[in-house]
Amino acid sequence: MLKRYKPFLRAGAMDTLAFRFNILMWALITVCEVACLVFLWLAVYRSSVDGMDAVIHGFSFREMISYVVLTTVFGFVTFNNSTLWNINTDIKKGTVGNYLIKPISYRGKFAATSLGSLLTMTALFGLPLYAAALLVLSGLGFLPDLAFPGFFAHLGLFLLSGLCASLLNDTISYVFGVLCFYTSSGWGLNSLKETLISFLSGTLLPLAFFPAGLRDVLSWMPFAGMSQDPVLILMMKYDLATSLRCVAVSAAWIVALELFAKGLFSRAVRKVTVQGG
Amino acid sequence: MIEVQDLTKVFRKPVRGSGLSGMVKTLFSRKYDEIRAVDGISFTVPDGEIVGYIGANGAGKSTTIKMMCGILTPTSGSVRIDGVEPYRKRRQVAQNIGVVFGQKTQLWWDIPLVESFKVLKEIYQISDADYAGRMAFLGEVLDITRFLSQPVRTLSLGERMRADLAASMLHNPRILFLDEPTIGMDVLVKEKIRQAIHALNRTYGTTVVLTTHDMTDIEDLCSRIILLEKGAILYDGPLKSLKNRFGNLKTLTLTVPAEIRAETAPRLSPELAISEEDGRLVLRFDADRLPLEQVIQYAFRELRAMDMKIAEISVGDVVKTILEQQEAEHAETI
Repeated sequence: MLKRYKPFLRAGAMDTLAFRFNILMWALITVCEVACLVFLWLAVYRSSVDGMDAVIHGFSFREMISYVVLTTVFGFVTFNNSTLWNINTDIKKGTVGNYLIKPISYRGKFAATSLGSLLTMTALFGLPLYAAALLVLSGLGFLPDLAFPGFFAHLGLFLLSGLCASLLNDTISYVFGVLCFYTSSGWGLNSLKETLISFLSGTLLPLAFFPAGLRDVLSWMPFAGMSQDPVLILMMKYDLATSLRCVAVSAAWIVALELFAKGLFSRAVRKVTVQGG
Repeated sequence: MIEVQDLTKVFRKPVRGSGLSGMVKTLFSRKYDEIRAVDGISFTVPDGEIVGYIGANGAGKSTTIKMMCGILTPTSGSVRIDGVEPYRKRRQVAQNIGVVFGQKTQLWWDIPLVESFKVLKEIYQISDADYAGRMAFLGEVLDITRFLSQPVRTLSLGERMRADLAASMLHNPRILFLDEPTIGMDVLVKEKIRQAIHALNRTYGTTVVLTTHDMTDIEDLCSRIILLEKGAILYDGPLKSLKNRFGNLKTLTLTVPAEIRAETAPRLSPELAISEEDGRLVLRFDADRLPLEQVIQYAFRELRAMDMKIAEISVGDVVKTILEQQEAEHAETI
């Protein structure tokens, strides 16, 4: 059955490679962004009581810089699906019908495309960028000694949690995409999704900086697993038990969200009104 | 086999006020208009039949097709394709049907045509041998081999439509739904498309449901016609009896000497209508009531015809008459 989705896996990989200019622009913008964040945190730590040696909410200055660099790379490699936009286009142009009459599941098509894109991004950019970042950061003494062989377990869990993060992102995109069946417009939904994820996943600010109650709630939500947790696993800020728990929470959310998406789609598809023709 | 039972589709359309104040009002209160696009229709199509599904624009043809192939879910009633409801078991039914919407392509726009076919080969899990055989068959009947390596966006409309047809037949579906497959095609392409549909039907026994506004398509292909108007079936039966609905109507067009005029010509019978078109006399009559032989004799003897053309009433004329009658009845009830 899965063989039917091979062309979409391939298409996801090919699309990723087709946009070289985008990747170049992203690299340029990101370097500037990371530089801004470094100066921002520099100012924060300098003005704190303990100065540059301060540990704020469990993060030393050096760990914070490592966190900023790694979440940025992680976001680039992991979140590059266009599921929501593609569903939106399918609905607006009426091309959703083309897939409804084929013996494949609409969800499976997008999952395969995103997976293809993730694999390409990881192989081409992820692995070299992670390796470079880790070597430079630990060379500068920004990361604790990457003590082998313990590090390999973390690296393995990191890659696994990266896969989970990508799937979570794709499932959430899909759910928001299916909501376009009701709103007929994806713009607002996309903004909502992007804001929710960047705020609640700890990309903007580690969740340790949030109030205690909210932090507890968020540690059981799917968002932390999409950015903060994988990076902290890689930085070995989490011990193995915590890392495993994070991956388990993500996996459980993937199952729950997929089931929800399935139910939502089978309701939404009844609303399909392919316009014209 | 396709079984359609009391099939109904109601669309709800928000009523929008006009102007700015109207738009603001619609933001807060929504009123809906109900449109019964398909209204309680039933019919059965046995295996191997070619059915013409015709009617005016907006009669509900496309909506029915979309329900039969599983894109739309009926408001009430049911469709069964070989016993399975397509909107419930979408993927299972999709493997056995092929669909072409004349106004939209299902091919991938930017990649060479042959790559689109390869994608479909994987989606439908077609074996290498079947794929090769099917491509040879379709390449011949639809003449698509020449432009297989071109991206779809560079194809002409006729080429694209043939490619779309080939794509829908690649997995050898038991049932083919064609929604206006000849729209915008020139006569040669239309001819090719009709031949392909015939060839497929003969070779594989494929059932075909086809909507069209081209009556030549219907006369060429369909043994049975379903005529739809305002979501309801007006006629369902063989092409022949539709033609004879208003009797065995015939038209004789005569070239006659200049002094013979429609108004002054000697009459044969009140059953015979005489008019003038482009300087020729046109006689219309029901051959079941007024024997053709008698009219021909009359034409030669009384009207001194020098040349004559005999034509049967066309399906187009019949459909036009039926729709006009409906319109008139509708106007009367209002």
